[in-house]
Amino acid sequence: MNEIVDIGLWQLAAAYLLLVFPFGIILWYRVPMMGETVVALVRMTVQLLLVGLYLQVLFQLNILWLNALWLLVMVAVADVSIVRSCNLRLMRIALPVFLALAAGTAVPLTLFTGLILRRPNVLDAQYAIPIGGMILGNCLRADIVGIRTFYELIRSTEKAFLQSLAEGASLPEATRPYARKASQAALAPTVATMATIGLVSLPGMMTGVILGGAGPVTAIKYQIAIMISIFSGTAITVALGIRLTTKSSFTPYGLLDPTVFRNQSKK
Amino acid sequence: MDAVSAPNALETNDLEVRFGKQVVLQGFSVSLKPGEKALLTGPSGCGKSTVLRCFLGFVIPDAGSVCLDGVELTAATVWHLRGRVAYVGQEPDLGTGTAAQAIERPFYYRSNTGLRHNLDRVPELFERFNLSRDLLPKDVGSLSGGEKQRIALVSAILLDRRIFLLDEVTSALDRVSKQAVAGYFRSREDVTALIVAHDLEMFSFIPRVVEVPCQPRREAPHE
Repeated sequence: MNEIVDIGLWQLAAAYLLLVFPFGIILWYRVPMMGETVVALVRMTVQLLLVGLYLQVLFQLNILWLNALWLLVMVAVADVSIVRSCNLRLMRIALPVFLALAAGTAVPLTLFTGLILRRPNVLDAQYAIPIGGMILGNCLRADIVGIRTFYELIRSTEKAFLQSLAEGASLPEATRPYARKASQAALAPTVATMATIGLVSLPGMMTGVILGGAGPVTAIKYQIAIMISIFSGTAITVALGIRLTTKSSFTPYGLLDPTVFRNQSKK
Repeated sequence: MDAVSAPNALETNDLEVRFGKQVVLQGFSVSLKPGEKALLTGPSGCGKSTVLRCFLGFVIPDAGSVCLDGVELTAATVWHLRGRVAYVGQEPDLGTGTAAQAIERPFYYRSNTGLRHNLDRVPELFERFNLSRDLLPKDVGSLSGGEKQRIALVSAILLDRRIFLLDEVTSALDRVSKQAVAGYFRSREDVTALIVAHDLEMFSFIPRVVEVPCQPRREAPHE
């Protein structure tokens, strides 16, 4: 297999020519999203350039603690994004969500790099950063769906929730049906992806491995391993995210504390 | 312990509850001996349901105390005390699934697992409250308000509690079903019941009527 072909700066600039089509459609139909599209494109370019430069250094140095620190920074950014997307108060659940994300990423990542790839250093930058990023990205999506579903369901069916407490349910017993529905909502996309992968589209990691110069069979093995890692990571992070945030989101009487929501309803 | 020396089954002392700045209850006290029954009355919105919710720890009073069987309801005791009370709301939410599943659900909670044999009484109670057993496999979403009220009542009775908090449980029932509910509680001398009801005639066997005074629409003083 050949080494991957690098893209020169001029060639990269040529990629921007493809923007003629979306911009043309936006102008033709007067879609009111020109401003945000330009901002998004600039942000994407600048963010990726900066991350590319940083990762270049990270890969060259390949220092264990620096790699771990970078992963933790990624987890922290994902943490803030989840809490904001769930309409919850950052100060109340940021720490439990951080722990849930860290566990959901660290457990499958360690097994992937240590057990499957047999790397002597499980935080080897070449593997830990991209694989960790893929697992974390899916954990982020799953946590947003799972945690938001959990709290919105309890808030919208408060009467049924309180009835279960009145009937003698402990807090874990009363929240279990909601955790079940939230987990289902969070895991369903990954399950659907696993069921159709390879048929509907060529998955990202497989494409990357092939572009990197490996054969399709190697690429498929990587893809299977990453899919299982992602599924495992999302299950861990959603279960932990719900469990850990419950401790700081309910009153000692077992009631959902309305102040945990950013736009709280009255008592 | 006889009824005279036993602690009050239900008791509130100088209860004060505010929702935001609105005072809902102020200085409200009531006590019921074991086996005693009382009707809680008052104009709509004066806090009758709030009194019941205080006994369940669903509303935390801003002042005053709430006791069940002589034990003050606090964050530490609420989980134990809820196990002594059966509560039926005005528009009960039976959750999801069939009526049979809604009735069985509480028996999966650890605190009720020892009471599972009470499910044998479902046919008897359905008959008593004029409910057809054909309702059991039906989805709770397809039940009428009156059917939901009576199924919630059956579910509460099966939990074998000695204290009942009933919030307008007959509001959606016809006269025959109302009489069946009233007759049941008349026959249960061992049960303490605090009943929010507008239909006082139906519960005429209960001599004690407790009026919840309506608080004037004023804001609580700033602290």
